[in-house]
Amino acid sequence: MQAKMRKNKGKTNTIEKEFVFEFKAGNHHCVLKVPLQFPLKENVSDLHGRIMLLHKIPCFVENDLKNRLVSFIKREMLADYDREAEAALQRLTTGEVDVNKLTNIWAKAYSETTLEHARPEEPSWDEDFASVYHELIHSPASETLLNLEHNYFVSVSELISERDMELKKLQERQAVEMNKVMQELGKSLCDQDVNTVAAQHFDAQQVLENKWASELKHVTGIQKHEYQEWVMKLHRDLQNPNNSTINEEIKVQPGQLGEAGEAGARLFEEQRQLEESFTIHLGAQLKTMHNLRLLRSDVLDFCKHRRHSSSGVKLRRLQTALSLYSTSLCGLVLLVDNRVNSYSGIKRDFATVSKECTDFHFPRVDEQLDIIQQVVLYARAQRSSKQREQPEMTRNGGSEDKNKIIDRNSSNILPGEFYISRHSNLSEVHIVFHLCVDDNVRSGNITARDPAIMGLRNILKVCCTHDVTTITIPLLLVHDMSEEMTIPWCLKRAELVFKCVKGFMMEMASWDGGISRTVQFLVPQSISDEMFYQLSNMLPQIFRVSSTLTLTSKR
Amino acid sequence: MKPLRDAELGASTFFASPLPHDVCGSNGLPLTPNSIKILGRFQILKTITHPRLCQYVDITRGKHERLVIVAEHYEKSLKDLLKQGKPVSPEMVLHVAYEVLEGLEFMNEHGMVHRALSPNNVLLDREGKVKLAKFGLYHMTDHGADVDFPIGYPSYLPPEVIAQGCLYSSDPSIIEAPLASGPKTDVWSLGVLLFELCVGRQILQNIDISERMKFIITLGCMDDIITVLAEEHGCLDTVKELPENVQALLRKCLTFLPSKRATPAELLGDSVFESMSCQYTPHQCPVRLFAAAPRCARLELPEDISQLCKDDGENYLVERGIDEVYHLWCLAGGDLEKELTNQEIIQSKPPACTLPKFILEDGESFGQGRDRSFLLDDTTVTLSLYQLKNRLKDVAGETFYPLLEDEQSSLPQSNSSNELSATITLPLIIRERDTEYQLTRIVLFDRLLKAYPYKKNQVWREARVDIPPLLRGLAWAALLGVEGDIQSKYDGIDKDTPIPTDRQIEVDIPRCHQYDELLSSPQGHVKFRRVLKAWVVSHPDLVYWQGLDSLCAPFLYLNFNNEALAYACMSAFIPKYLYNFFLKDNSHVIQEYLTVFSQMIAFHDPELGNHLNEIGFIPDLYAIPWFLTMFTHVFPLHKIFHLWDTLLLGNSSFPFCIGVAILQQLRDRLLANGFNECILLFSDLPEIDIERCVRESINLFCWSPKSATYRQHAQPNKTASDNNSFGKTPSFYSSEYEDLTKTDLSREPLKLSELKAEVSPRISVEDLIDLCELSGPACFKTPAKRARTGKPKILAVDIRSLEDFSRGHIPGSINIPYTSTFGPEGELLQCPATSALAGHRLRVIVILSNIMKNATTFAAHLVKVNFPRVCVLDGGMNKMKSTGLLTVPSPQI
Repeated sequence: MQAKMRKNKGKTNTIEKEFVFEFKAGNHHCVLKVPLQFPLKENVSDLHGRIMLLHKIPCFVENDLKNRLVSFIKREMLADYDREAEAALQRLTTGEVDVNKLTNIWAKAYSETTLEHARPEEPSWDEDFASVYHELIHSPASETLLNLEHNYFVSVSELISERDMELKKLQERQAVEMNKVMQELGKSLCDQDVNTVAAQHFDAQQVLENKWASELKHVTGIQKHEYQEWVMKLHRDLQNPNNSTINEEIKVQPGQLGEAGEAGARLFEEQRQLEESFTIHLGAQLKTMHNLRLLRSDVLDFCKHRRHSSSGVKLRRLQTALSLYSTSLCGLVLLVDNRVNSYSGIKRDFATVSKECTDFHFPRVDEQLDIIQQVVLYARAQRSSKQREQPEMTRNGGSEDKNKIIDRNSSNILPGEFYISRHSNLSEVHIVFHLCVDDNVRSGNITARDPAIMGLRNILKVCCTHDVTTITIPLLLVHDMSEEMTIPWCLKRAELVFKCVKGFMMEMASWDGGISRTVQFLVPQSISDEMFYQLSNMLPQIFRVSSTLTLTSKR
Repeated sequence: MKPLRDAELGASTFFASPLPHDVCGSNGLPLTPNSIKILGRFQILKTITHPRLCQYVDITRGKHERLVIVAEHYEKSLKDLLKQGKPVSPEMVLHVAYEVLEGLEFMNEHGMVHRALSPNNVLLDREGKVKLAKFGLYHMTDHGADVDFPIGYPSYLPPEVIAQGCLYSSDPSIIEAPLASGPKTDVWSLGVLLFELCVGRQILQNIDISERMKFIITLGCMDDIITVLAEEHGCLDTVKELPENVQALLRKCLTFLPSKRATPAELLGDSVFESMSCQYTPHQCPVRLFAAAPRCARLELPEDISQLCKDDGENYLVERGIDEVYHLWCLAGGDLEKELTNQEIIQSKPPACTLPKFILEDGESFGQGRDRSFLLDDTTVTLSLYQLKNRLKDVAGETFYPLLEDEQSSLPQSNSSNELSATITLPLIIRERDTEYQLTRIVLFDRLLKAYPYKKNQVWREARVDIPPLLRGLAWAALLGVEGDIQSKYDGIDKDTPIPTDRQIEVDIPRCHQYDELLSSPQGHVKFRRVLKAWVVSHPDLVYWQGLDSLCAPFLYLNFNNEALAYACMSAFIPKYLYNFFLKDNSHVIQEYLTVFSQMIAFHDPELGNHLNEIGFIPDLYAIPWFLTMFTHVFPLHKIFHLWDTLLLGNSSFPFCIGVAILQQLRDRLLANGFNECILLFSDLPEIDIERCVRESINLFCWSPKSATYRQHAQPNKTASDNNSFGKTPSFYSSEYEDLTKTDLSREPLKLSELKAEVSPRISVEDLIDLCELSGPACFKTPAKRARTGKPKILAVDIRSLEDFSRGHIPGSINIPYTSTFGPEGELLQCPATSALAGHRLRVIVILSNIMKNATTFAAHLVKVNFPRVCVLDGGMNKMKSTGLLTVPSPQI
């Protein structure tokens, strides 16, 4: 509404007034009449110069003309101000404008925008904890904090492996049982019986899973509580060191899981991971430098913690912890379907990974998703009420059939929309953008106007406004390869995304004044080495790679 | 700007309102952020200087539309007086009233109103004089349209402002935006303020805002507003006891109807101030540099001169202008955001806590709480000058008052001068960040510029060292020799009447150096348009070519508040460096220019030149925007400044050297690539190290004989009257070849086709004589003296036959007969003469012949085998003969 009001501002009706100037030149009596539009926009000196030039006014009246013009304009402006002001007062006395309403708007304006008149802030646990944590993690206590986090992580991992073991046992037992049943099928048992057994097995699994889920939830809840208490206590103790109780370092519990096997897996993993980095310059005259990286890896590798405590992992963890409440966050784009939950596909895998370790700062994934679902419903309600108010604004193209879809199920989200979850427990990422895409992205012919691409643009915009300086984007807009994704398909898609992201990054420079960023383009692990190198050849052709410094060159 | 004296620097901050997501302007380009609009509008405030107003100094943009304003500040305000809780004496009230009105009147003269008068915005300096603060907020925010918060304080708002409503509202029923407030609004606020002073307490404080406003509105039905107000606050007795004139003043201020209320100007002349107006002298605006009026017109020396030199202690810094002190404060490590954060004015929440939850496809976000840190806190924080003073404590007094008489030493002789002369050798970037060094340079340039044009020569000399960024605009104007009544000349140009070029200008401006905040602001666009139109209108023989906008950008940026000077600089710059480039048909000028440029490439870097010619990557494909805009199209402003600091010192052939230097910086990549890659490379020019570029182009310039860059379409010899009375052009490097008196030994114009056919440049006989240091008959006028070291070494190569050579030749020249040097493939044949040639590879080789064609072919062959610095004597030996400088080797006599 504000925008609309401001637009009208330019159109305040102008009034034409005539400036009359008389002077004598010799025996001639000259009269100059100039119609002027009020409120006057031009510069008085310019106007004066123009009148002198246009009407060939003799120079001996130059100063006189100027003085008269200035005072005329001043007088008329004052009259306009007075008239407008009194008209406004008049509107109040006639009751055209309601006094109460008017003063309430003023009061609201002051209370919502100025600190002096705003309601005092209610203390927020989140932010207090954030500042305390940020302070501690940047102090020598960070070591202790990380060790504590790791110990909690190890105990959750143990719980999870126990769960996996038990599930596995159950499945094995059930498989044996099922085998027996199948052998009896047609002899002593009929299809009906098999189904019953299958149903029983399923139920048993569900019960077990639920049991473990609640167990995990319970444990992580306790951990989180303990942790937060402990952090606050540590902070208090550090402030007055006299009565410190927690001085002993927390030692790292060695993980009990086999390290050898992990190391092997890691070796394998790193072989599969390909990566190439570029430094680029964007902008025509003023250039800003950014880092780009092309990676072949699984999207969840950015989230998973390695279970053994090798120093590299610890460093990475420290890095993530240090920047959690800083102004350089790391984000990841996850492509999801149109439902806000964690029941299937990549959403489920992600939820599983994020539960492997307690989140000591933010709510659990499912709680966050619940809140997001509420927000989505609220947003839909807002939108539809707005559209009812201004029906003329929606009268463009496809928005109407979109509305129909929304009406059918307003809790779902549409392609190009995304929700954001926050995490402190993932290995390299703080912020996850869950971007909704549909099956269109699997087909070959999407354009720069595709909702998914527009979603990327909005994601980059949020990155600007909320200081996300590293962002990882699935280059092909898919997480897994399939049959229809041929080499030409990949090249075409990669070119589109590269070019669009380049455009958005140039646009970003005007949003945030050109802050250097890191953008990582992720391709699925199943892509071939040649394909990867083709893509890495394409990148420098689209972005301007900064010149390498050749030390051998004579200049 | 006025000196700092006992003032402080204060910083305050607020947020511009964010733009609605994804809305485009009417021209299809993204909307300008509100913070940039404010930044543009702010600039004019820097020029508003009055003893009753706090001087605005600077504005900076922070993250997320934050703006930080720096202005003159005082710790004491009327609020402190009110806090004492007792009435202020009536005389004091009258003084305050008069001084506030003085300030308001001056603002009104400049078309501004305060709109935010309140006790904490009326500051008091050490002598108890009023200084109005935050007076520009209403102006810079476009009457409050660009910020979310309302401007003004609820208790002090006049009834009409309240009635007009506030912009901030989510209520769609109020569509009509109010007209801007006039000067009379401030008079009401002043009335409330004075009332409070009279009764010694703040009024209307204990009721909430909407009640307060209702109360103010209802005052309209009252006969005697003063009495009502006094009764409301139980201080009727105090008010009744006030002197008659104070009561009258209050009544005049607190007049409900605006039409009946007086303006500040009217009030100043009112009889209530009769007794005291004589104590105040009206303010005289100081005359700016480059103004037509004599700057010393109002200079009055005290009877006793020694009064001028009375010792004010050691604190010379406070006598410097506020902007200089602030500039130095920044250099000494001042950080505005840090100061404000330390005082908890800036409180930012971690972004991880403020992220939205859900974003629609059109970018609208949901689930994000209103962030309290975005609320307005209008406290002003005093910037501590301690660090700066500490840094400058060892700087001697002489630095602040350098003597300009001594033409030899540029820097004051003091303890620190050794250190400073060491600083001169450091890279420019470092010098520009060095506090002491910049202080010295600023003081020096300030004094020199004040003595302009008398000290013009010294400005030139100092500019060769470097130009302090703070004074660059004025220094450039001095280097360009701007003089005369520029303001009235500019005012006299019609910049409003539509002309056919308008459309093109309108299209180009939003694409010109828009990364810069100043130039991308709407104010910047307006000024751009006016300066460009003024230039086009005032140069009827020339036209607007795309690129003129880029050319205008540096001048406009440096003289943002002085369009006339920007215009004058541009008008002086174009004929000097781009003579006739803006003709409607400029092809002959440009073609000649580019041909000379490719000759210069071949001259300085034959290998590169050969390669570029082979692949057909000719200057026409890339160099037109370079030269047409003097590189302003290809470099960002901060690089242009450093480049032009030197360019302005050189003559019109200097740009060739810059062009060659740029090519040489990209040499490896150009040599390694073919045509397509080169086109791609230049379509978006890679980063260029500008300091290296400047250094190398000066070097190239020193190696280029003056006449090698002769162009027949260059600016013809200026008439003597044009050369101003203050001596000749001060240096050899800056003097134009075309300015020298033409003799028959100068270069003669060539047809374009002939020029294009020649690979190497020609030089004139004069140049040869000068370079060979041949002492000729006294009739020659040798060019202005130049330093011996700057002279390129020369090797004259006579390619006539041996007989001709032995009949007479130039002393020191070697004979390599044309026919015997090159093989059938164009390779150099081995013979003693050619090895001599190879031995002098680093010299400038001048080919002499009596047949021009032979000479040029010979030169082309030499270039082909990568001989650098080959040129040809224009007119050949025939012309040389007439000088009588040829000698016959003695053995053969």
